[in-house]
Amino acid sequence: MSALPDTAFEVEMASTGRVFEIPAGQSVLHTLMFEGVDIPFACEEGVCGTCLTGVKQGEVDHRDQYLTPEEQAKQDCFMPCCSRAVTARLVLDL
Amino acid sequence: MFLKNTWYVACQSYELTDKPLARKVCGESIAFFRGLENKAAAVEDFCPHRGAPLSLGKVCNGHLVCGYHGLEMGCDGKTVAMPGQRVRGFAPIKRFAVVERYGFIWVWPGHADLADEAAMPVFEWFENPNWAYGGGLYHIACDYRLMIDNLMDLTHETYVHATSIGQTEIDETPSKTTVDGDKVVTSRFMQNIQAPPFWQMALRANDLPDDQLVDRWQICRFTPPSHVLIEVGVALAGKGGYDAAPEHKAYSVVVDFITPETETSIHYFWGMVRQFKPQDAALTDQIRQGQGGIFSEDLGMLEQQQKNLSAHPDRALLMLNIDAGGVQSRRVIDRLLAQEAALKVAA
Repeated sequence: MSALPDTAFEVEMASTGRVFEIPAGQSVLHTLMFEGVDIPFACEEGVCGTCLTGVKQGEVDHRDQYLTPEEQAKQDCFMPCCSRAVTARLVLDL
Repeated sequence: MFLKNTWYVACQSYELTDKPLARKVCGESIAFFRGLENKAAAVEDFCPHRGAPLSLGKVCNGHLVCGYHGLEMGCDGKTVAMPGQRVRGFAPIKRFAVVERYGFIWVWPGHADLADEAAMPVFEWFENPNWAYGGGLYHIACDYRLMIDNLMDLTHETYVHATSIGQTEIDETPSKTTVDGDKVVTSRFMQNIQAPPFWQMALRANDLPDDQLVDRWQICRFTPPSHVLIEVGVALAGKGGYDAAPEHKAYSVVVDFITPETETSIHYFWGMVRQFKPQDAALTDQIRQGQGGIFSEDLGMLEQQQKNLSAHPDRALLMLNIDAGGVQSRRVIDRLLAQEAALKVAA
């Protein structure tokens, strides 16, 4: 679990270049869903792996329990239902 | 109200086969199963996936496999596997401490980390070739304390068990109740009486005449949480009664392990251990059948009593001189319940 505070950051869709502001207290998954970008999901707590999404740039603050520590360290994917960003922006493989 | 951080009998060893067993103990729905090397295990009967009772599944390679979508539960409450799914992030479910001993599987329905195997009751007669045990299990819809009351006041034998072990001398001979810490003992000694039918049978089985006057005793011992062991027997009159030499008497210990299921139902593990003719399996069966018949008479009375009490929950009951054993046993339980509640507050 992350010890970092829950702060706002941006995500960018690599395919379209659209950028979304992720406010503190709201997940990437929910923010994108409200904006009409649907990612399949189930548990919403980083357990099931359904919403696994690729990361092309930026550093993730991993908060899931699905990925192994080694997988998390690769910084090439994350769980938008619970994980957040260390850097100001994540570029997602969407 | 139950004591939860203590040992109860969950089932007889033979009840737990290669299939899971569902049994509620002290309000906890538990799935019992045998893990690797037949070691008994217990987890809450609730699949963390979709809430199905795990006991409806099957046991595979020491794991309990849910019968709904195949989640594999380990003995420690941690999910081992799930088809098509990583399970490393699954929160564990509650596990229960279990110990198999004396032909029973014992469970600690409270917090497994507090389970203390050294606190298990010790019995000299189980697994001892000089003694034989026979017993059974009844499910009875009554508060476990009604069963304790019943066993700590045997005057009911005269009325409920009139054709087997009852006799008016039980009513006519006062009992004596003593308390020693958590133990309550109620005893009654009768002299120069006719043996009732069950004891006539036992005398014959022990190659003693069944038509002579006898001295008869009943020593009821309550220990927490809800075990009642009753030394019972008859000796040919004048041979020393309870202290008579073995060749003059037929005696045994009635073994009662009372396991609360809900506030108003119990799993009642009844039985009898005896020292005469311990190798005689046919006699063990005969006694089990006799005892089973007698104890089913209690079942009928207790369930009707509970119905009455449930219909009139605020009605005060009489506590008479014959009820001293039950009253003292309930005091012990109440004191231990208060201790357990205080621990919970402190924790």
